[in-house]
Amino acid sequence: MLKRDIWKRFDFLLFTAVLLLCIFGVALVSSAIAGNIALAEHATRQAVFAGIGLGVLFIVSMIDYHYWQSFGRFLYAGTFVLLVLTFITGQVSFGAARWLTVGLVNVQPAELSKIALILSLSYYLSRHVEKINTIWVLGRSLGIAMGLIIWIFLQPNLSNTIVLLVIWAMMVWISGLKSKYILIFLLILIVFLGVSIAADFPYLADYQKVRVETFLRPDPAARYGDTYNVDQAEISIGSGGWLGQGYGQGSQVQLRFLKIRVSDFIFSVLGNEFGFVGTTIVMLLILFVIVRCFIVAQQAPDAYGALLCYGFGVLMAFQTMVNVGVNLRVLPVTGLTLPFISYGGSSIVSMLLGIGLVESVRMRSEENKEKLRA
Amino acid sequence: MNQNPIYEKPTIAMGRIKWVYLVLGLVFVFYVYKLFTEQIINGATYRAAADGNRTQVISDPTERGMIFDRNGVVLARNVPSFNITITPAGMPDPDDNAGQLHQLVKELSEVISMPASNGVLNEETAKSFSECNTDFGIEQIVTIAGNNWPFRATRLKCDVSKEVAMIVQEKAMDWPGVSVEVQSIREYPSGVDTAEVVGFLGPIPESQVEYYTGLGFVSGRDKVGYAGLEQSMQDVLGGINGTRVVEVNVGGQVMRNLEEPVEPINGSHIYTTIDYRLQTIARQAMIDQFNYYNNLIGKVLSDSGVTIVMKVKTGEILALVNYPSFENNRMSRFIPAYYYNQLSLDEAKPLLNKAISSEVPPGSVYKLVSALGILNEKVIDKWKHIEDPGIITLLEKYYPNDPGSPRTFKCWQTEGHGAVDYLRAIAWSCNVYWYKVGGGFENEVPGDGLGIWRMSEYAKALGYGEITGVELPGEVNGLNPNPTWKRLNIGENWATGDTYLATVGQGYVLSTPMQVINSISTIANDGKRMQPTVIYKIMDDQGNVVKALEPKMVVDITKTPLIHEYNGNIQLETLKAVEPWILAEARKGMELVTKTFEPESGTAAIPFENVTYSVAGKTGTAEYCDDFALKNKLCGVTMGYWPAHGWFVGYAPADDPEVVVLNFSYNGTEGSRFSAPIVRRVLDAYFELKSIDAGTADQGEGPTTPGQ
Repeated sequence: MLKRDIWKRFDFLLFTAVLLLCIFGVALVSSAIAGNIALAEHATRQAVFAGIGLGVLFIVSMIDYHYWQSFGRFLYAGTFVLLVLTFITGQVSFGAARWLTVGLVNVQPAELSKIALILSLSYYLSRHVEKINTIWVLGRSLGIAMGLIIWIFLQPNLSNTIVLLVIWAMMVWISGLKSKYILIFLLILIVFLGVSIAADFPYLADYQKVRVETFLRPDPAARYGDTYNVDQAEISIGSGGWLGQGYGQGSQVQLRFLKIRVSDFIFSVLGNEFGFVGTTIVMLLILFVIVRCFIVAQQAPDAYGALLCYGFGVLMAFQTMVNVGVNLRVLPVTGLTLPFISYGGSSIVSMLLGIGLVESVRMRSEENKEKLRA
Repeated sequence: MNQNPIYEKPTIAMGRIKWVYLVLGLVFVFYVYKLFTEQIINGATYRAAADGNRTQVISDPTERGMIFDRNGVVLARNVPSFNITITPAGMPDPDDNAGQLHQLVKELSEVISMPASNGVLNEETAKSFSECNTDFGIEQIVTIAGNNWPFRATRLKCDVSKEVAMIVQEKAMDWPGVSVEVQSIREYPSGVDTAEVVGFLGPIPESQVEYYTGLGFVSGRDKVGYAGLEQSMQDVLGGINGTRVVEVNVGGQVMRNLEEPVEPINGSHIYTTIDYRLQTIARQAMIDQFNYYNNLIGKVLSDSGVTIVMKVKTGEILALVNYPSFENNRMSRFIPAYYYNQLSLDEAKPLLNKAISSEVPPGSVYKLVSALGILNEKVIDKWKHIEDPGIITLLEKYYPNDPGSPRTFKCWQTEGHGAVDYLRAIAWSCNVYWYKVGGGFENEVPGDGLGIWRMSEYAKALGYGEITGVELPGEVNGLNPNPTWKRLNIGENWATGDTYLATVGQGYVLSTPMQVINSISTIANDGKRMQPTVIYKIMDDQGNVVKALEPKMVVDITKTPLIHEYNGNIQLETLKAVEPWILAEARKGMELVTKTFEPESGTAAIPFENVTYSVAGKTGTAEYCDDFALKNKLCGVTMGYWPAHGWFVGYAPADDPEVVVLNFSYNGTEGSRFSAPIVRRVLDAYFELKSIDAGTADQGEGPTTPGQ
């Protein structure tokens, strides 16, 4: 009886939107393979991961999200261990390692760390929300974030470092951080960026510098390499027109002029094959999912639930904005995925897990209860 | 659930979320705007860019036409040449598969005998990299190509043996990105023997890239003619490349044809009028003569000259020898800089087709111009004897009332020829006779004689002063001087002495060997000036004759009135032709040139002793003082002490001329001794070959067929 009531509060619109995005994602990955044998299994794998993710979504939504208050610690600790392991293997193999092979699957701990950070910060901030404007609470929250961020930064993985910092900042801000602190942080940020530019980003790896450099000062003579990928992304999107060249028909995609097309540039595949109309619809769908999360956050019965949904909404919103921004050439190239659509098991599973959390909060919100009573 | 104590009213600043909505909304609108701009407003540009990515126009090379001599002997053909190429995009990745790449390079290096690594690679050296002609090792070339054109095949080593090419072909599966390119290379079996006629090929020159690209040629791949028939007949030989518009993927792999492909049209074959046998004989005759005289006097007298053999009635050039020439096979793959420099700097100018491109004084051969003029203009009758004391003094006047300054003119025979009539003046090449009739002398030849204006009219009628139009590149005009020309170019008035010198083909008169042979041939051919030609027939690659030889008469000077009449310096409207009997008289004179008679034989009597056919001709000894002679201090103080070129033009049979032969020997000193023997040898050979051909024709064996 109770269970059935709960399912009635399940947000089917949100779920339907997410399901559509996942199916569409698998379809796009399938098209983006474009006959490349090395990528041949990607569509099936993406479908399998989407299936696993949807299972996770249901399981998580069934569990009262308050259990995550204690689960969160284990997840945090587990992610921490994975990150350290990844860092160590990376050091051993003398290169940036972002993957950790666990059994048969490669896990990208950076994706997990986003969920872990949202869970941990939600719990910590919800309990200390009154004292948010003290150095102690602010410092502890930053410490929680830094415990994960530092390893990701050392990988080095700048884009996910920024994602985690943004999550921390946005969560602290929504918790009621006073304007003067915000101003101080902004000032620090500006000074930091200024010094960075002056000192030519000493903390960045060479390839990262090149990416920033090519974005800020594109070399018109460059034919291959640095600007090639973004050039081709631009051509792919631009040649899509109103309705696109058709599914599996995009010349830029199928003849493989577009690179990294199953993950970072899948948005360009979308633009190339489905055109302005299709792309706008997909963007609207993602926007709908994000807004839906924020609405659930606003209607959440408690601060913890609200922070969870809000934090997760911020994560999706930021990743989407950055990924689309890269594809539309308004931001420098990063490795951030487009939620639900880009190829990547860790990414899609953690995104669906997040949606599961949001559903869990929604199913247990007081307002729903009140509506039911009315 | 509401009893659960963990539920508590949110106390966070959720109100702030409106800012998040605002930012989300703004970014969404901005992105849709960007998307609209890219896909709809600028869509056409990007579609064009996408089409540019996927479409590629492939030019299928055509086969250049072959060149044969008149009997089907191959003078130019195409042979396959094998190049080893690499396409870096297809090779093992140097970052991920360094070991595999290293192994490939090592194996390839052994097979094609090319160093795996050689040379210092930096931006400077990389820029100077040129395919087929590099000191770099394989690794360096892979790096250069990989950085600049990873999807294009780059030639690693050119012209490898067929065996090596086959080994590489077999290894293709194990060596991704390595392949064999078959390239068509021009080969000249007759090489240096026919280089001046056939010419050679080179890359499309920078200045003509636009022109040739417009014709569908591919700059950097296709070659075009640089000299000889290869150049002048480029349009006929070149053919038309085929084109295919195809869709390619990012690796350059052809997916499909986007349009109906246009097949290449092969170039047509050219049969020249050249008889390869006669060509080689003529060359050998010259070389032998050079060697004989150079050995005789113990230094290099002459080592450069021209021999032309032409059919009188048709204008077909049977042989055209320009000595020294060049080895066109050395330019077949690329033009080696050192060889080209060597040819360019050689003072004998082997690259210059001297038969048509050098302007030299024609000397006494030019006397035939006046020989027609004086009789046709009735300056003198043919019986009239002119006194040749060996030396005469002319009171040279620059303007009518000039009191004049004395200037002496000599005959080549210092004691003089005594009383000389028209025929003996030709036979003995008596300078004084020609001075006097050409420019007038006291009371003996009243007035100005023939005069320079009328002389240049007859020169023009015989084809001097304009290109003959033979199908070879680089022909020049020569010069028929006249007072106006001198005024404009030298800044002086014309003097009688200038006319004297012009009469004997000296002074300002300049002509090409081709003009000289053409003028004598016109006289031999009863005044019918034929168009000299080197094209016997043109055949397309299916074997159809596209163009067969059609002898073309330019003008018949006995029928077409070409000669302007003059009143002093004033050209009149009235025109006249040359009376036919005058040509016969001139021929009689030329016949005497080769004859032995009393009191003095013709100038070329000795070289033509015991000749089995009747022959006529004219010797020439043209004094010159050019840059080369000046530099070598050969020039004396005045004319008469200058070095001289040797000329001889002879035709046979004298009564029904069939063939005319010219030899010009640079610094040959005397036409009668240097050039006439060469012409004699060539004429002998002509008649011998003629009888041989007649014999084989009787046995039913035609000329060899093309392709054999």
